[in-house]
Amino acid sequence: MTKRPDYPPRDTAIMMRMVLIALIPGVVAMMMFFGPGVLFNLTAAILTAVSSEALCLGLRKREIQSRLIDLSAVLTGVLIALALPQAAPWWLVVAATASSVILGKHIYGGLGQNPVNPAMLGYALMLISAPVSMTTLWINPLATPDLAAAWSAFLGQASDAVTGATTLDLYKTEFRALTAIEAVRNPLFSQAHLGFIYGYEWVALAYFAGGVWLIYQRVITWHTPAGLLATLIVISAFFSFDPDTATPVWVHLIAGAGIFAAFFILTDPVSGATSPKGRLWFAIGVGVLTYLIRTYGQYPDAIAFAVLLMNFAAPMIDHYTRPRIMGREASVKGPGGQS
Amino acid sequence: MAEYQIRRCERHLEGGIHPETHKQLSTTDPCVFVDDPKRLVFPIHFSGGGPGEALIAVGDTVSQGTPIIKCRSGIIHVASRAGTVVDITDHAITHPSARESESIIIEPNGLKEQSYLDPLVWPFDADTLRDRAIEAGILGLGGAGFPSFKKWSDGTQTLVINAAECEPYLTADDTLMRIDTHSMIRGACVLSQTLDIKTIVIGIEDNKPEALEAIENAIKESRSDCLFDIVLLDTKYPSGSERHLIWLTLGIEVPTGSRPVELGVIVHNPGTLAALSRAIDGKPITDRIVTLTGEALTTPRNVVAPIGTPISHLIKAADTNPASLTSITVGGPMMGYAVTELTAGITKTTNCLLAREVEIPPESPCIRCGACAAVCPVRLQPQQMIFSLKGGALDRAIHEGLTDCIECAACNAVCPSHIPLAEWFRLGRFEARDKANEQRLAAEARARFEARNVRLERIAQEQEAKRAARKAKTADALEKARKAREENA
Repeated sequence: MTKRPDYPPRDTAIMMRMVLIALIPGVVAMMMFFGPGVLFNLTAAILTAVSSEALCLGLRKREIQSRLIDLSAVLTGVLIALALPQAAPWWLVVAATASSVILGKHIYGGLGQNPVNPAMLGYALMLISAPVSMTTLWINPLATPDLAAAWSAFLGQASDAVTGATTLDLYKTEFRALTAIEAVRNPLFSQAHLGFIYGYEWVALAYFAGGVWLIYQRVITWHTPAGLLATLIVISAFFSFDPDTATPVWVHLIAGAGIFAAFFILTDPVSGATSPKGRLWFAIGVGVLTYLIRTYGQYPDAIAFAVLLMNFAAPMIDHYTRPRIMGREASVKGPGGQS
Repeated sequence: MAEYQIRRCERHLEGGIHPETHKQLSTTDPCVFVDDPKRLVFPIHFSGGGPGEALIAVGDTVSQGTPIIKCRSGIIHVASRAGTVVDITDHAITHPSARESESIIIEPNGLKEQSYLDPLVWPFDADTLRDRAIEAGILGLGGAGFPSFKKWSDGTQTLVINAAECEPYLTADDTLMRIDTHSMIRGACVLSQTLDIKTIVIGIEDNKPEALEAIENAIKESRSDCLFDIVLLDTKYPSGSERHLIWLTLGIEVPTGSRPVELGVIVHNPGTLAALSRAIDGKPITDRIVTLTGEALTTPRNVVAPIGTPISHLIKAADTNPASLTSITVGGPMMGYAVTELTAGITKTTNCLLAREVEIPPESPCIRCGACAAVCPVRLQPQQMIFSLKGGALDRAIHEGLTDCIECAACNAVCPSHIPLAEWFRLGRFEARDKANEQRLAAEARARFEARNVRLERIAQEQEAKRAARKAKTADALEKARKAREENA
């Protein structure tokens, strides 16, 4: 026997823990460039997620302890905390996390029953309810706040000196007036270590490393990240024939939540498509919608809405991407059944 | 010397798993005969070959080889030891349903009386061989217990010997291939000769070098003119599934709803062929090799045991106190089932008794991670089927491929939520069969009803026609009479 025995299986809690471990490099990179506020957000989100989970399990008369240790609530909290603006006030974090866990998950019957991605539901809800906070409280990586500044931002008094729109948003709104050559003169680009975008490039790289490790560990498959990133690259490359008006490929990839979402958000197995081929189509769909919303929409980023929309399409994707069963001539399509 | 080749299988199982095999556990000690037990139990309806009827009565004395049960399929089961029929009563049986069923209880008397069949003398035709297989009670000894003779159709081109034994812990076939190789090869040769089969394929996993060597030697000594094609398979569960073995060795995908026989392929377990060889010499199946294994046994090993031997007797043969065990798995850890009543006797399909402590973690909700789909050897989507089944949507589960499930339980083994998927599918398949049966009965009833309506209508029409004819005749006669009267007047 040379092959590793894949039996007994890793249980749900172990898989969740591995995802959390894979997020560590990204979190470290974010703290380096966006300051200690990331840590405040994470703490508040995890506390809120766990207490909301316990509250719901209690109300639903389910066993609390064994479900809490499956870490799924912690993961939801971490994901929403990383998706929110880094200078978000505490109430935004708490509201987003609580709605993720309660409205995104337990309303439908808890773990495994949610039709949409809980973290993205919480995010989208906040974007609609608190649009100003959600669009203007992003930290400028060139002005990383210190502990005191981060704390006052967490308490709701963020200083305008350190916050603003996301780079992706900036590029779309302010840089549109400039030519591509002028745009990259901005220190955000000209001071970048790797030649892309200051700070964001390292964060993207760190999440990428964590995601690749997850694929290597067989926690996720390559289909989802490959589908999203390839779609983003292909579409934005196709439309970047005029560099002065279009957002370039590397801004699409690095400035927004692209890499983070490709490996950690779209890969939520519950609300996504489930067959390998289905996952690929699901991710391609998110990629197309993301590009469209980023280009024509008024939001700082588009992943959340794209994911939510594709979540609703996931059951249909599953019905049309079943593999061919051994012994059958063709794969079975359609939902089937009378009930 | 027969012609043969050994080749590495160029195809690899899609899906499947690599569980710890635990095979060394039972192959370290040599295979031994167990002492005759105090009583033997033969379930009348669950010995394999379908429901049956007792051919003997309480008080009868039987010899080793006396027919005692005749099944609906024709298969005859014999007494495995000489003794007295002490009772025919409901008794615990070795069956997944774990219920009691009417059984014949025989107390062996220790005598060596045998009543065997006459040896068959070559040449004989396929029908003679079929009759012999029926009389000798030859069933698929790999586990399914399908009457072997039903597979032997003319026009078969290939015999595949299923020597994969992919299930963890099991070494009964491995043991048989090491110690009874000649019988197996002879059985295969005779079957091939009578059915005019040219190629005998042996599919064997590459973790059985001793068996492979024994087979090679036995083929060298045989005088068959068949070509032996020995295919070395990757050790991966479930390469021994009939359909997968055919695909791995021959590259043929058996279509859903068809049986391999329809494609000119028959698959037999090594034990079945060895039993056939002995049946030709007149000896029906009275014994089989059983793997006694598991960490809870003191001396795990393979034994040759009479059919009907109570499970507890075999546990003692492995130097273990049966009272120390709460439950025994019959078969392997993947496809086996638990029995709690250890007085039940082994049947022809009992290939393994597994005793170990397994802690079943509590089930948690499905997160649709798809680990099950990745290992499903028939490419089903268990995570979707379980959703349909738990929601009571049987039709939907069938649409998704439930009836193609081979119940290999690879999905169970990898599920991070510890959902007993295979059990759900087994139950669902049972319900699906039930439903199909019901639909068939309903269709038959409807056909009968419609035929009756047609018949009644036809009778009514006939009667109407007759009445009309009679009326016309009467009218005719009246007319004639009237005319005659008028003429007379």
